[in-house]
Amino acid sequence: MTEERTRALATAVIVGALVLSSTVALTSPTVDARPAHEIPVTERPDAALGSPTAAGWSSVPASDVPLSSAPSSVPNADDTSIEQVHVQAVRSDGEFYLRLQWEDPTQNVSAASTRTFLDAAAVQFPVDTSSRPPIAMGGQDNRVNVWYWSGDGGTQELLAGGAGTTTSFPSPVVDATATYRDGTWTVVYSRELGAGEGSDDRTDLDSADSLDVAFGVWNGANGERAGRKAVSEWHYFPLDTSPQGPPYQTLLWTIAGLAIVAVVGVTAFGVLRTRSDEGER
Amino acid sequence: MSTQDTNINVAEGIDHQVAMVMDLNKCIGCQTCTIACKDLWTEGGGREYMYWNNVETKPGEGYPRGWEESGGGWTDDGSERVPGEIPSREEYGRPWEFNHSEIMYEGSDEPLRPRDGAEWGPNWDEDQGGGEYPNSYYFYLPRICNHCTHPSCVEACPRQALYKREEDGIVLVDQERCRGYRYCVEGCPYKKVYYNTVSKKSEKCIFCYPRLEGEGPDGETYAPACAEECPPQLRLVGFLDDEDGPIHKLVEEYEVALPLHPEFRTQPNVYYIPPYAPGQHTEDGETVDVDRIPRQYLRELFGDGVDEALDTIERERQRARRGDESELMELLQHKNPAKQYRLGVFDD
Repeated sequence: MTEERTRALATAVIVGALVLSSTVALTSPTVDARPAHEIPVTERPDAALGSPTAAGWSSVPASDVPLSSAPSSVPNADDTSIEQVHVQAVRSDGEFYLRLQWEDPTQNVSAASTRTFLDAAAVQFPVDTSSRPPIAMGGQDNRVNVWYWSGDGGTQELLAGGAGTTTSFPSPVVDATATYRDGTWTVVYSRELGAGEGSDDRTDLDSADSLDVAFGVWNGANGERAGRKAVSEWHYFPLDTSPQGPPYQTLLWTIAGLAIVAVVGVTAFGVLRTRSDEGER
Repeated sequence: MSTQDTNINVAEGIDHQVAMVMDLNKCIGCQTCTIACKDLWTEGGGREYMYWNNVETKPGEGYPRGWEESGGGWTDDGSERVPGEIPSREEYGRPWEFNHSEIMYEGSDEPLRPRDGAEWGPNWDEDQGGGEYPNSYYFYLPRICNHCTHPSCVEACPRQALYKREEDGIVLVDQERCRGYRYCVEGCPYKKVYYNTVSKKSEKCIFCYPRLEGEGPDGETYAPACAEECPPQLRLVGFLDDEDGPIHKLVEEYEVALPLHPEFRTQPNVYYIPPYAPGQHTEDGETVDVDRIPRQYLRELFGDGVDEALDTIERERQRARRGDESELMELLQHKNPAKQYRLGVFDD
């Protein structure tokens, strides 16, 4: 074997190794590496997680979603107090479960006096999941569906097309249950995946690969209500329904990597062989 | 309907503006108006503490306590809202529990009185007033929603749940739209929007619009109950832009009927004939030419127009006393309900 030939082979091996290692690094589906606004959804076909204290929740990965004061024209709109909400999501065969947790040192469950306001939380989805509406209660042509829970136990399903346009559905299909323990609210929302017949105003949770979602929390003790609330930016739930998800991608990249190594190797080998043939002549 | 014939400034988009004039010189503080209103509209269901119509003693803290200092309304140039506060239940006054059972069933000799916590309530300072004997003074101030031309409650609502009715400018809360945020309660400088603690929505004086519309069993049009039931008949009801009506004459021509706290800049449509008190007395009981009710206090309540209004009233009184004709004195005295309540003038 000539010196040139040895050098060419070594180059081919190094290039191949580099391609392989970078492929593996790119495609490792670790939770830490997921995009900032993605909230994972755990698939659990037989889950029954309607209760905030259901044991199943402990093994569901969570995301901490930062909140800040919503831009609003109401007085003291920038005086809000809740800074983050802990979000977990599970999809079963027919239901979507969403669990929110946040710290609030005061439990406000009655609005039965002139100056008292309720603790509350809301989840916002686009009605039409194919495009992302304006974050503040959607827009006229791009409405949002809101699941609103309040500390007095009430749950409302709302439709909005811009600030101040919130309208409740006459017969809501969202359930919410909550517990308050050690200064923390835990609220679980549940709804069937499909929007149901004739529900053009409801978000179909089963229709998109990725579902936009935003959150809002009110601290009643701080006089928070209406646009005076702590809200998140738009986040999204990846709902890709392909059976294997990330492992399928890894397999593809590995095959591609191997193919590149093979091509480089064969080419180098071919070149060297041509040269040595010429040298013998 | 049109307003092209009038130079009266009604709110934009409003055909006509209902209005009321209350002659404070006639109020005897009997609260019949308060009870007429309560019987009709606020007897129960979370409305117990509400008095859409109340009568308070001035000088005094009023109802709710200290409402004049509770914020709301507009800045001096009318461009921005002034932040306001929601009164507490204590400031409105809680219903007291009395020792009825002890006295009636347990033979107690105690006087009948509230058990505990009776520290404030509507009219707690009734008849207290101001000044020192022999020159103490007070007067009664009946108050309803002012159905303002530039209502800060309407502007305060982020959901447009409050609105001025197009046909007559009555300010209403759409109970379907209201979500109980109470920005209207804090935004009204007169504190005349109330939060229903059961329905969790806000409510207010509706100027008895079903009576105006003849919705009663006899199909007849009636003025608001607070006006019709008033024993001394101190209220005139009609439209500000009805140029042949007494309200237009009193407000726009004679300028003797004045809005309460015009500095709130909401342009109220309830107007008051300011109180006209006899002069002060010396210790010997001689009447002297010094205002019993400090003029400055009246200016604080009704604005600077009060000086001219009182001068006009005095001038017209003298005319009437001399036996001359005075249209103003006639307007302030007549007892003909057909003239006092002019409500059908703009009916098609």
